[in-house]
Amino acid sequence: MAFRKIDIDALEEDAFRQEELDFQEIGEVPPQQEVEAQVNNRAQEVRILLQRGDAAGALSTSLQNPPYGSGLETAKARNTQTVMEVLTYALKSADQLVKNLSSEEQDVLMKYLYAGMAAPEQNNSGVLLTWHEKLTEVAGQGCIVRVITDRRTV
Amino acid sequence: MSNTLRPYLNAVRQTLTASMCLENFSSQIAERHNKPEVEVGASKEVLLNPLVISRNDKERVLIESSVNSMRVSIAIKQADEIERILAHKFTRFLTQRAESFVILRRKPIEGYDISFLITNSHTEQMYKHKLVDFIIQFMEEVDKEISEMKLSLNARARIVSESYLSQFN
Amino acid sequence: MSTDQPVIIEFNLGPISCHAFNHDRTELAVSFNTNVVSIFRKSGSGWTLAWTLEEHDKPVTSVDWAPKSNRIVTCSQDRNAYVWTLDQASQQWKPTLVLLRINRAATFTRWSPEEDKFAVASGSRCISVCYFEEDNDWWVGKHIKKPIRSTVLSLDWHPNNVLLAAGCADMKARVFSAFIKGVDKKPAPSPWGEKLPFNTVCGEFSSGTGGWIHGVAFSPSGDSLAFTGHDSSITVVSPATGSVQTIRAPYLPYVSVLWLNENQIVAAGHDCAPHLFENKGQQWAFSVSLDSAVKKADVGFTARDTFRRMDSRAQSTTSSDTEIHSHHQNTINSIRFYAGSRENLEQYTTSGVDGKLIIWNTSNIANILSNLRI
Repeated sequence: MAFRKIDIDALEEDAFRQEELDFQEIGEVPPQQEVEAQVNNRAQEVRILLQRGDAAGALSTSLQNPPYGSGLETAKARNTQTVMEVLTYALKSADQLVKNLSSEEQDVLMKYLYAGMAAPEQNNSGVLLTWHEKLTEVAGQGCIVRVITDRRTV
Repeated sequence: MSNTLRPYLNAVRQTLTASMCLENFSSQIAERHNKPEVEVGASKEVLLNPLVISRNDKERVLIESSVNSMRVSIAIKQADEIERILAHKFTRFLTQRAESFVILRRKPIEGYDISFLITNSHTEQMYKHKLVDFIIQFMEEVDKEISEMKLSLNARARIVSESYLSQFN
Repeated sequence: MSTDQPVIIEFNLGPISCHAFNHDRTELAVSFNTNVVSIFRKSGSGWTLAWTLEEHDKPVTSVDWAPKSNRIVTCSQDRNAYVWTLDQASQQWKPTLVLLRINRAATFTRWSPEEDKFAVASGSRCISVCYFEEDNDWWVGKHIKKPIRSTVLSLDWHPNNVLLAAGCADMKARVFSAFIKGVDKKPAPSPWGEKLPFNTVCGEFSSGTGGWIHGVAFSPSGDSLAFTGHDSSITVVSPATGSVQTIRAPYLPYVSVLWLNENQIVAAGHDCAPHLFENKGQQWAFSVSLDSAVKKADVGFTARDTFRRMDSRAQSTTSSDTEIHSHHQNTINSIRFYAGSRENLEQYTTSGVDGKLIIWNTSNIANILSNLRI
């Protein structure tokens, strides 16, 4: 009676499949090596900016052009780590920094805050919660709504 | 203690409010049916990204939302064996009485201690901000409840052992 | 109707899923989240129940009242739509079943400006454009199918009676041609295109950050399209200039949208208040919330209580007030034209899950804006 276990809904022609959905929202995913190189370069850049004490520059650089799409787990993890470094470094000036971000950057930062909180073993949730509070004050709940609707996850 | 609880609950509150934007949505799969899409999970486009908010690696909240329903799962702080047993007993007590809690899910999501399932009919019948308040209050009370139970359990254990051992004086 | 204050009609009969007024605003069709549509007639300052339309057997999702021909169209999750006409002799509303040919819920319906067609959006990933077939004496639907991938949530007709905008749960807003041979005359060329056979896709847009498209609306001239997404954004598209502007709002998602005139848009939804968006120098931006309900004073709480609550529960308001500070107490799910002209709207109505229907004036907008600047 194996036919009883077939998921017939999955055979529906019109149904929107996950891959199609991802393709519509994210587009073509660039090759893994390319993205990883880009992410590593950015990590370098951010580190240099942090050494110079330029927290604002480091924050907006770390939020540029984040890796989106499936199959980029290592690059995503690496980039999240870069953002986390900046957030830990610049915690004291969070208030001011979030105000100076563009609305796109605010949305990306919110994505990283949730990505960070999803891995509490690696990241300091206290730091992230403080950032979350400051960012919500400035960018509102709309910013959180966009994290849950945007299929381009980090 | 309290100073990490506040931002934690604040973040949960904001995220719940943002996720609890539900509407009546009839199933695309089965005709004349209306099901919580977050549970069915068959129409990918009406599901939203799940979010996790964590206070530390033990206490966290998972919020999964969809067009007409959302699921909130809570991992309760369990520092030692006694707290683990108490939390288990406590959540079991609640889930067995899920009908009277309306939004409680009978079975928690894997990896969490207790789950709530909120559908559009709940947000139609109840004030949305009060639903959020309820969950926040629950999160706050459950910690308190468990530490109180732990204290009284210890106290009873002490009395029992004292009276037992006093025979051998 | 000279006061600026919004008029609140409270039925307390459950969430309002949809509403529509007749041409002279003396009758009102409402569905309270059930399978029945109730028609109320204005009597003095109140509304009394005049008829109930009971033909659907699942919740009614949308209702529209054609002002000129005095016909009502209703659609429901039971996959059907009915056109209701008032029988002059018996003074009863008589239903006619429409051949929609859909197999999932019907979600939204609107009469075309000429009232010779109506469109029904549905969960079977298509839009049924219905017209009257004299030969068979019935309303029959023709499907717009491609490239819709999910439930269609909302529709709006272009003033030329041919173009139809649709907001869809596949994160796209689209403009289609709903040209029916034999019913429509060839439309004048518009920025949306010149040759418009049925099902031509004249435009496909998205906000860029995902989210289902909840509300769509053509501008008074029909040259621009505004749509709201579940990502709390509003996007305004003008094909003539090629401009696509997305405003990311810091509030909860908007469900419904309406143009007041070419330069002002009102949107409302999960934030329970209508918000104004304005075009200033070709740049659209959020302007102000149009709900100026007074904030209730916190009483009976000591400062210590307040601080303790803020500290332990992250709650900034006092826990005793169950009400929120707006006229609507829950999600607004529809905004509709009420009075004025398409070019210059004077009054609009909102209805929501809290069971209230509110008539708002646009005359006080200038006032609100000037107060804001001081």
